[in-house]
Amino acid sequence: MSVLTLPAQPGQDTAPRPLPWRRMAWVTWRQQRATLISVPAVLGAVAVFLVIFGLKVHHDYAAIVKCPLVGSVQNESGACQQLFSRFNATDWPLGNTCAILMALAPVLIGAFAGGPLLARELETGTYRYAWTQGLGRERQVIAKLALVGITLAVVTGAFGELFAWFFQPFLYTEELNVLTDTVFSARGLVFPAFTLVAFAIGAFFGMLLRRIVPAMAATLGVYLAVRLAAWGVRKYYPVAVVTSNSKIFSQFQTPSLPGFPWILTTWVTGPGGKPASPSVANRILNGPGPSPGASVPAGYTEWNRWIPLSHYWPMQFIEAGWLLVIAVALFAATVSLVRRRAA
Amino acid sequence: MTIDKGDSAIEFRLDPDSGVPTYLQLVQQVEHALRLGYLKPGDQLPKVRDVVATLTINPNTVLKAYRELEHKGLAAGRPGQGTFIEATLEQVTLPELAGLRRTLLGWLASADAAGLDEDGIVALFTSGLRDFFKTSGGRGNAGQRGGGSRDRAGTAGSADRSAADDGTEGVA
Amino acid sequence: MNVIETRELGKRYGKTWALRDCTLALPAGHLAALVGPNGAGKSTLMNMVVGLTVPTEGTAAVLDGQPAGSPAALNGVAFVAQDAPVYKNLSSADMLHLTANLNQRFDRSFAKARLADLGIPLKKKAGKLSGGQQAQLALTLALARKPRLLILDEPLASLDPIARQDFLSAVLTAMADDGVSVLLSSHQVAELERVADYLIVLSRAQLQVAGEVDDLLACHRVLTGPAAEAQEYATRLTVVQTRRGETQAHLLARTSGPADPVPPGWESHPVSLEELVMAYLRSPGVSEPTAFARVQRATSKEATR
Repeated sequence: MSVLTLPAQPGQDTAPRPLPWRRMAWVTWRQQRATLISVPAVLGAVAVFLVIFGLKVHHDYAAIVKCPLVGSVQNESGACQQLFSRFNATDWPLGNTCAILMALAPVLIGAFAGGPLLARELETGTYRYAWTQGLGRERQVIAKLALVGITLAVVTGAFGELFAWFFQPFLYTEELNVLTDTVFSARGLVFPAFTLVAFAIGAFFGMLLRRIVPAMAATLGVYLAVRLAAWGVRKYYPVAVVTSNSKIFSQFQTPSLPGFPWILTTWVTGPGGKPASPSVANRILNGPGPSPGASVPAGYTEWNRWIPLSHYWPMQFIEAGWLLVIAVALFAATVSLVRRRAA
Repeated sequence: MTIDKGDSAIEFRLDPDSGVPTYLQLVQQVEHALRLGYLKPGDQLPKVRDVVATLTINPNTVLKAYRELEHKGLAAGRPGQGTFIEATLEQVTLPELAGLRRTLLGWLASADAAGLDEDGIVALFTSGLRDFFKTSGGRGNAGQRGGGSRDRAGTAGSADRSAADDGTEGVA
Repeated sequence: MNVIETRELGKRYGKTWALRDCTLALPAGHLAALVGPNGAGKSTLMNMVVGLTVPTEGTAAVLDGQPAGSPAALNGVAFVAQDAPVYKNLSSADMLHLTANLNQRFDRSFAKARLADLGIPLKKKAGKLSGGQQAQLALTLALARKPRLLILDEPLASLDPIARQDFLSAVLTAMADDGVSVLLSSHQVAELERVADYLIVLSRAQLQVAGEVDDLLACHRVLTGPAAEAQEYATRLTVVQTRRGETQAHLLARTSGPADPVPPGWESHPVSLEELVMAYLRSPGVSEPTAFARVQRATSKEATR
C-alpha cells in the first residue's frame, strides 16, 4: 500500500544545531514574568519607602550628633536626651521592623521564586508540553535558573546596600556594628548570596518534591539550617588577629560599641608568658575598678583574638563565597535531577 | 453552507453503513460518474488533501482508490499536478438507466409477492450478482470482484452475519 | 523507515508493570491507532516514546533509530498530551511565540492562519478558551513545528462531535500535505475506523496485536459452524475468540490469508475492525503479537502525493 512520506531534508533530523540562548531568554522571561516583575516591583516599592524614611532617620540622627557630649549618654543635657528618646521611640521601631524583614527577605524571596520554578510545571502538567519541545528540558532549566538567579542577585544586592545606608544611624544608637549578625547578613554580598541560596534550595526541592507548597515548606526549613550554620561558623573565618595590649581592650565578648571590633576571645598571661590563674584574670578583666582603657597591672598582658571592623569585606567575601558554592551545587543537583528523572 | 472546492468535477460522499470499504466506494463513485458522463477524460479528480479534509478519511485510503483506478486504466497521476481521468467507461445514458430501474422495480414486486422479505431479496440478488460475474464475465469489471470466499465488498457477508448473530449467546 | 521502534520496552512503578515486553516497529506514513482500555499502558508507551518517561527495561527509538528523548528526536516529534496542556495564563499569541522560540522549525504564518480559520482569538488567555479550542491550539502548535511524527494522547476524549471532526480533519490534512506520520491513542475504536490504517492494541500492560489494518482484516475471519465441532477446530486453528451457543459457534480465527481453506460445513465471514479489537481485548495473551508485528509487506512502495 502506498503511503505518504516526507522527503528527507538533508541534516534535518541528525544533530540539530543548538538553539541560541537569546531565544531561551525570551521563553524564561515570558514563563517567569510574574516572579521577574513582582520581586523587583515589591523591592522597588519598599526601596522608595526606605529612601523617604531613611532621609528622616539620617536627619534626626544628625541632630543628635550635633548635640554636645554625645556618646556618653548619662552626661547629655535635657534637650539632647529628648532628641535621643524621641529617636528611640519613633525611628527605631520602624528601623527594627525593617531589620527583621531583611532577615526574612532572602527566604521569602527564594521560596516564592524558587519553589514554583519547576514545581509549577510538574504540578500543572505543562512539563508534558515544555519537555517535548525541540529545546530540551536541560537547557530550559539552566536558562531559568540562570536568568532568575542573576536577576535576584542583582536586585537584592542593590537593595541590600540601600538598606545599609538606611540603617547606618542605628548602628550608633543601638550599639551595633557591621559585624553584628543581623546587620552583616542584610547588606553587601551576603544578602544577595543568602537570597540565591534560598532560591537554589527552593528550585531543588521544587524538582525533588514536584509540588509547590511542600517545596516552599522545605525551603524554609533547610534555609534556617544554613542561616544558623552561617551564624555559628562566622567566628572561624581566617581573618581574626591576635594582639596584646597593655590597656584593657575587651569589654564584652560580643560585638558591642560602634567602631569597636568583634572580640572573639580574651585571655590574660602573667609573668613569663604563662596563663594567669582564672581568678586573677577575672579580677583584671571584669572586677571592680579597671575600666576600658585602664592599665593592666604590671607583669600581666591582656591578649585578644578579635576581628577588626576593617575586615568586614574579607568576611563578606568568604561568607558569600561558600554560600555561592552551596547554591551552585544545588543548581547542578537540580539540573541533574531534571536530566535523569522520569516525569 | 456551500463549500466550493472548485477544481474537480465531482465530489465524493461516503456511506458508512454500506459495508463497502471506503476506498472501494471512492472507486465506484468515479466509475459511476464516468458512466453518467459527469467525468470525461482529461478531468481532474479531487485532490487527495481536499478529499481528506472534507470526508475525514485517511489519505492512504484515497491513494489506494486512485491507484486502483490507475490499475484499471481509468486514471493516471501527473507528478506535481494531481490525478486525471484517462479513459472512459461504457456510458449508460440516463434513459437507459431509467429503463433498467423500472425493470428492477418490477422484479422486486414479483419477489415481494413470492414472499421474500428485504433480507431475502438482498441475499438472492447478491448471490446472483456474484454468480453472474463469476461465470459469464459480464461486460464490465469481470475479474475485480467475486471469486472464492466472500470478501468485504459482498453485502451477503454482512447479511449472513446478521442472520447468524440472531441465534447466538455470547460466550467470551 | 520506522517512525517508532521499541524493543522489549517496559515500565514498572513500584511493583506494578504499567507496560511489559512491548516490541513494535511502526513504519512511516501511517496513522496508527493505539487502542486499549484505561490502564492498558497507552500513555506509558507514549510517554516513553517521546522521552518523558525513562523505561525500566528495553529501548525506544523514533525516526529511524534516534533514541527517544534525544535532541534529534525532540526536534522531529511533536507531542500533544492528554488534556492538551498549554500555559493557561499565556495568550495564544504568546504560546505561538513561545513554541517558535523553543524549536528549530516553526511555521508562524501557518499557525496564525490556522488559528484564524478556527476562530481562536490570539489575545485571549489560553485558560479562557473552550476545551475544543485548547485542543486545537495545542494541535496547531504541534503541526506548525512541521514534525515528521505526531503523537496524540487521547486527544478526542473531551471534545464534542464537531470539535472531534475538526481535529481529525486537521490531522489528516497534515498527513496529506506534509507526510506526517501519526500515532493516536483512544479507548474507543469506532471513531478511528475510518482514519486509522495501522492498529496497535494494548491490554493489561501487554501488546496484543499490531499491524496494518488491511493486513489484519485480511488475515482474520469469523468461522461459523456447529458448536460440537468448535472445540476440535479451536485447537487446530489460531483462534482469538470463541462465542458459542447451543448449536452454533463462532470462532474468530487468524489465518494466513483470504485463501485459507474453510473447514467443511463451516462458513467464513470477514471481520470488522471493531470486532477484531474487541476480541483481542477480551482474550488477552492469545496471540504472539511480536511475531505478527514483524510481518512486513514484500514490497512497500512509498509514493509522494
